[in-house]
Amino acid sequence: MAPGAPATDNEVVLEVDGIVTRFGAQTIHDGVSFRVHRGQLVALIGGSGTGKSVLLREIIGLMRPTAGTVRLLGTDVWKASAGELAAVRRRFGMMFQDGALFSSLDVAHNVAVPLVEHTYLRPEVLWPLVQLRIGLAGLGPETGAKMPSELSGGMRKRAAIARALALEPEMIFLDEPTSGLDPITARAFDKLVRFLVDDLGVTVFLVTHDLDTLLTVVDRVIVLAKGKVLADGPVSEVMQTNDEWVQSYFSVRTQIGGGNETHGT
Amino acid sequence: MTTTVRSLTTQLQLASLDSSPNGATLRLAGDWRLSHVDAAAAALSALPKSSRVVALDGRALTGFDTAGALVVLRYLQELGTDPKSATPQNFAPHHRRILEVVSGQLGNVTGAAQTAQPGFFQTIGRNVVALWDLIVGHVQFFGYTAAGVGALLTHPRRLRLKELAAQFEQVGITAIPVVLLVTFLIGVVFAYLLGVQAEKYGASIFVVDGVAIGMAREFSPLLVAVIIAGRSGAAFTAQLGTMRLTEETDAIRVLGLSPMDVLILPRLFALIVALPLLVFVGDVVSNLGGMLMADQALGIVPATYIDRLHKALRLKDVIVGLVKAPVFAFFIAIIGMRMGMTVSSDTRSIGINTTSTVVQGIVSVILLDALFAVLLQKLGI
Repeated sequence: MAPGAPATDNEVVLEVDGIVTRFGAQTIHDGVSFRVHRGQLVALIGGSGTGKSVLLREIIGLMRPTAGTVRLLGTDVWKASAGELAAVRRRFGMMFQDGALFSSLDVAHNVAVPLVEHTYLRPEVLWPLVQLRIGLAGLGPETGAKMPSELSGGMRKRAAIARALALEPEMIFLDEPTSGLDPITARAFDKLVRFLVDDLGVTVFLVTHDLDTLLTVVDRVIVLAKGKVLADGPVSEVMQTNDEWVQSYFSVRTQIGGGNETHGT
Repeated sequence: MTTTVRSLTTQLQLASLDSSPNGATLRLAGDWRLSHVDAAAAALSALPKSSRVVALDGRALTGFDTAGALVVLRYLQELGTDPKSATPQNFAPHHRRILEVVSGQLGNVTGAAQTAQPGFFQTIGRNVVALWDLIVGHVQFFGYTAAGVGALLTHPRRLRLKELAAQFEQVGITAIPVVLLVTFLIGVVFAYLLGVQAEKYGASIFVVDGVAIGMAREFSPLLVAVIIAGRSGAAFTAQLGTMRLTEETDAIRVLGLSPMDVLILPRLFALIVALPLLVFVGDVVSNLGGMLMADQALGIVPATYIDRLHKALRLKDVIVGLVKAPVFAFFIAIIGMRMGMTVSSDTRSIGINTTSTVVQGIVSVILLDALFAVLLQKLGI
């Protein structure tokens, strides 16, 4: 396992059990269950409309599932009191797809928001910490003074990671971390995510469409299809799943790798 | 000779120094995570400053994260010790990893607080420049629109009747209820205020003169223009601003259409036509309000009111009011659309620009009204 991860490797930090989601007559999830262990980098994949983002929102307590339970860092998200939920929210970070940075604040103040709201740090401790977060997210020190509208898509995502890291979270959720990025930026972002897991000991749960992310940095893949977990395991195992969608999903890659067979069948 | 100095600031000895002839070892103990980092920083600052730290010991750490690592490394920096020269000892592997990561990031941490707030004169200067830029921009947009109107005159077929009708409905027809309500009530209030004074002199009938001339010449155009500046000016900014953010205006251009023809001119013409009509509605309804009040409070029956209205109100007073309206409309439309087209690439600026549109619209209407008053006075109209 990851060399930097703490010793409690087998501790379950996220347990999703029997999630059912219905919008009117439409059933999105029909009993989704899985677990995530501490120190892992887990990816959730699935075709469009399989409810990946909805599931993510249900896990972090933004949207109530029709049925089922979510235990996040030992707390039942949908049975917890407001105080318990607030406490658990201080222990995980979330990066929204386009960053969701507060557009009225510069990057440094965006990163400082959780620290200012949830800690009583003195400024001489707080600002160096903000700069450290910005540096850890792979942004230069000059980025702190920039407004979100001045940043490129990749930088906005990094700034969002810096904000998610602010309170030393045990777990980070990423919604499509590499979408809209060019391949070079996307691979650098993968490295950043791997660094969070290996060096900072953070557990990462991400929703992605990016095959390269899956094949290079992810420890485990969960495939969501037809409202259920279709496959769950290391990428190499999931690739062998006998399912049309999974096969066509991964075949894009093997076709490119296969050279001559590109135009086959 | 070895002496041990311990910090006594907390019950937990978070930090202590072991001095030896080769240099001191800084021993960290207990919880050095974000939640306790203030206590850790306090423990460090209570240590004697003179020692040369050559090693860091993390054997007794129960918790350690990047915040704790940053505090200890910055403490070493402040002592004048190169943090990299202090050898980490007995750290748990993941603690040591965090220490190395943060050590590598120290170059990015200056510790300086963010940029200072601009001073008093700087703020004034910036605002003056911003106001100048705003006015220059409005004049440019005015020129751009005038060119669009000119092009339309030579190619009348480019007038988009469908958009014009849709805009006219939005800025004109749907504004009628609020105009009815406001002008009727102002007519009532105006008649009452005048009546209280006129009655003292037994001149109640002149209330009709006051309401009719005052509303037609001044208040109906002014009130309706203020309502429309808040209603349609803000709507123009929000609509065009959102379209710019979602790149719809660019799509219009790429499809071979002109935003001038599709977006700007229909709104401009619709407002210029709608505002005088709304002012006329206001003229009529305010007199209805005045009539109601005169009947109830002053004993002037509607027939008498109408009779007096015929004698008191000259056509020229009504025309003055109706002539002002398109001028107000022109300014409201130009300001609203320019502020919409200059929305920058973040959602916050739509709010800022919309607010600014309403303020600029109302201020410009009142300035124009004052200008009209002076001009008409000089011309003797």
